[in-house]
Amino acid sequence: MKPFSLLFLALTSLATLTAAPQDDQYVLGPDSLPKEGVPHGKVIAMDPWRSKIFDGTVRDWWIYVPAQYDASKPACTMVFQDGGKANVKDSKFGGSNNAVWVFDNLIHAGQMPVTIGIFISPGSFPAADAKEKPRSNRSFEYDTPDALYSRFLLEEILPEVSKTYKLSDNPEHRAICGASSGGICAFTVAWEKPDAFRKVVSHIGSFTNIRGGYGYPSKIRQTKLENSLQTYNTPELKAVLESRRKIRVFLQDGTGDIDNQFGNWPLANQDMAAALKFAGWDYQFVLGEGTHNGKHGASLFPDTMRWLWRDVK
Amino acid sequence: MHIHTIFRVLFILAILSKNQAIAQDTSLHDYLIDSEPWKEVVGGQTFTDGLCTDSAGNLFFTDVKNGKGVYKLDAATGQVSLVHDNLPGISGLQFGPGGILYATHNKEQRVISIDKDGKIDVLVTGVKCNDLVVTKKGFVYFTETPTKRIHCITPDQQHRIADEGHVTKPNGISISIDEQTLAVSDYGGKHVWTWRIEADGALTAASPYMTMELLTGKVEAAGDGMTTEEKGRYFVTTDLGVQIFDPMGRLSGIIAKPVATGKIVSVEFAGKDHDILFVAAEDKIFSRKLKVKGYFGH
Repeated sequence: MKPFSLLFLALTSLATLTAAPQDDQYVLGPDSLPKEGVPHGKVIAMDPWRSKIFDGTVRDWWIYVPAQYDASKPACTMVFQDGGKANVKDSKFGGSNNAVWVFDNLIHAGQMPVTIGIFISPGSFPAADAKEKPRSNRSFEYDTPDALYSRFLLEEILPEVSKTYKLSDNPEHRAICGASSGGICAFTVAWEKPDAFRKVVSHIGSFTNIRGGYGYPSKIRQTKLENSLQTYNTPELKAVLESRRKIRVFLQDGTGDIDNQFGNWPLANQDMAAALKFAGWDYQFVLGEGTHNGKHGASLFPDTMRWLWRDVK
Repeated sequence: MHIHTIFRVLFILAILSKNQAIAQDTSLHDYLIDSEPWKEVVGGQTFTDGLCTDSAGNLFFTDVKNGKGVYKLDAATGQVSLVHDNLPGISGLQFGPGGILYATHNKEQRVISIDKDGKIDVLVTGVKCNDLVVTKKGFVYFTETPTKRIHCITPDQQHRIADEGHVTKPNGISISIDEQTLAVSDYGGKHVWTWRIEADGALTAASPYMTMELLTGKVEAAGDGMTTEEKGRYFVTTDLGVQIFDPMGRLSGIIAKPVATGKIVSVEFAGKDHDILFVAAEDKIFSRKLKVKGYFGH
């Protein structure tokens, strides 16, 4: 039995015993928290980013640089949607999924490669009148199943980080993670640019019809080798197919997730998992009992990282 | 000892959940009333258009092909009267500050204002103007469909082209409830575009922020008249019906057209509580009471 299933079983049994509300069963383990003797990476707040691709937007972002980073060796990269603002004054600051501590611990243990984390918020349009709230561009950037967000990362953000840090451009060395609309966004980035990103983590991903993202299962099914000839019928498209089939996908959802006019989140994620299985991709799907939040995904995150990075030392 | 970290995760999750709470809040069930279907309130016209309202909730409209001027459907009596005569061919109407009525006088290729005494001021000439919106500060924005332009007239009556070329056929136009965002529907595409409104009235940050549903086989949604509901959702008339978008630009639902065939080209909340949705459907105007109200800035 895989570590995932064991952890999952352990957690669900615990829940039955304690009869806690369904999300409270998902707690952070020791790999998600600071440990004595483990070198702590740097959390660096970046100046708000003014995008050209998403013209007029401003966003918060920050990066994590592991203590083991060596400027002579290109580091792996992992991008997180909904990154928020870094609280550099708080020595306990962990970021989404407590990734700062997970990275510290796993890199130190040699269980994942030296990886720079890029935590970035969706853009917003500041109001001209400072008294008014900014308008969020999150749904446009994350829910739209097209190449725009991947271009934003590849043409604006990665080059900016690369000014200071040496990043590997091997697609196997680039991962992307998000929750909800940030989850489908992670998949979209790899789907659109499989030569740039080949590792995806989606928690409670919105593979529903907010802006057409419910179309992925059938598109993934068409990448099954026996079914792909009609769709990928030129040398260029065959290269895209080959590249897409190398994407590794981790999906998490909960049976208590959203059921609304855009779709049913648990069903949509099961449909994604069934499509990935059908097409023969390298994927993991964990369906828990949680609702629409990141607790389960965060509790799994150290194991997710071990599985995701298992081919990179 | 890691309580801080855990709280921070929970806080981020709370934000995510809150976003989703908004998403869940946008179902059609939240604004339609089963016992209040579309009903015809004006008939016998040729091609109704230009729906707008005043603070009392009266509905103003035109018959753009055959009418004499500006008509009023009285909120109290339900009676229709001609309130401004000798102004045929107006395609858009909107009240601005001080109860001044602004009109895109398409037939005369000019934008005009009409004061309470019926005195007309010509603001711009030589424009194939379609529809307009007026801000609380008195900026007038209007669409010019064939030139792909959105124009601005400042409160001191300076005229400038505020955007050109982004929208294939700019048509309907509306504003966010904080009046910081302008929205324009594309008759010849599938997006409703948005801009940031700068302090001087300039438009920046053009974005195809909302995506309209299309009739099967079509590439144009026929986005036409627009209005804004008081919680910030945008209502847009299209081939498929009145499409509704939340403030994050997500399609919340589509209210079916009152007529199976034929166009709906203008939409407005009116009635004394501004909670009755009106649509212009060729020779008729239909209305239905909703659970939500329109945004009215003046």
